[in-house]
Amino acid sequence: MVELATLALERNAHTSGARVSLVLEQVLSSGVLLWPAADLSKIDLYDHNRITEDGAEAVALVLVHRHREWRVVRRIQHGEHADWLLEDCQGGVHERVALEVSGVDRGATNSRLTEKLIQVAKMMNVHQRWACVVGFEEPTAVLRPAEEQLHGY
Amino acid sequence: MDIDTLNALVTDAIWRAQELDALGIQPASAWREVSVFEEELAKALPSSELEGQIARRGAVRAALKAGEYARAQSLCDTYLADTDAPTFLKTGVQEILEEADREISSRFQHAAKHHTPREARDLASRFSDAGAFSLAA
Repeated sequence: MVELATLALERNAHTSGARVSLVLEQVLSSGVLLWPAADLSKIDLYDHNRITEDGAEAVALVLVHRHREWRVVRRIQHGEHADWLLEDCQGGVHERVALEVSGVDRGATNSRLTEKLIQVAKMMNVHQRWACVVGFEEPTAVLRPAEEQLHGY
Repeated sequence: MDIDTLNALVTDAIWRAQELDALGIQPASAWREVSVFEEELAKALPSSELEGQIARRGAVRAALKAGEYARAQSLCDTYLADTDAPTFLKTGVQEILEEADREISSRFQHAAKHHTPREARDLASRFSDAGAFSLAA
C-alpha cells in the first residue's frame, strides 16, 4: 500500500517531503509526507484506480494513527459501508471506528467526501463512523465523522 | 490461531483478492481464502459483537465471490440457526444470498424458469457430498 501511495504521489510530480494540506474535523493544518523513492517503471503493473484508492488508504491510515492514535483492527470487504475497522484507545476506552477511505487523483475532494460520509453513516453497531478523502493532485487529506454530516454541520 | 493473527490474515487476503479483481483476473481461490479466514473469525467471535457480525457476512459474501454457492448456503444456514444472533445480522446475511440469487437468475434466465438458485445450490451440495451417483439413490 505504501508503494502504491508513492506511485500516486510521484505520478502527480510530487517528491518526498511534499507538503500535505490536512482538514481534520474542519480544522485546517498542514504536514509533510516522506516516502522511499518509487519505481515509476512499475506503474503499469497496477490498475490506475487501485493506485489511487490503495494509495489513499495508506495516507489515511498514517494520518489517523498520527493524529487520532487509532489502531488498525482489520480491512473490511466491499458491501460493509466502510473499508477499515480501527480501534480508538484514547482515554482508556476501546471504541470501534469504521473508516471509509477514497482517493482522488485529479480535482476537488468535496463531493467525494459527502458521498463517503453518507456511505459510512450506514454502518451499524459501531461506536464511530468516519470518512477520509485523499487528493493527490495537490496533496490533501480531509477527515470527518459521519455524525457531523448527519447533523448538517 | 488468535484473533489478531486472523485479522492480519483476512486483511491481506481481502487486499489480494480485490487487487486481482481490479486486474480482471478471476480470483476464485483468493476469495475462498478470504471466506475461510472470515469463517474462522466467525467461529471465534460471538454474533452479538460487531467483529463477529462482519466476519459472518464476510464469510458468506466471499464464498459467493469464490463461486462456492453451496458453501455460502451452508454458512448462511449455520448463521441463521444461531439463536443468539441479532435479527439485523440474520437479515443481512440472507440479503447477501438473495442478491447473489438475483444475479444468478438474471445471468441464467432460461435455467431460472425451471429451478431456483436454492435448488441449484442443494444439488451442488449433494454432488459435492456424495458424487454424481447419489442422485440415482
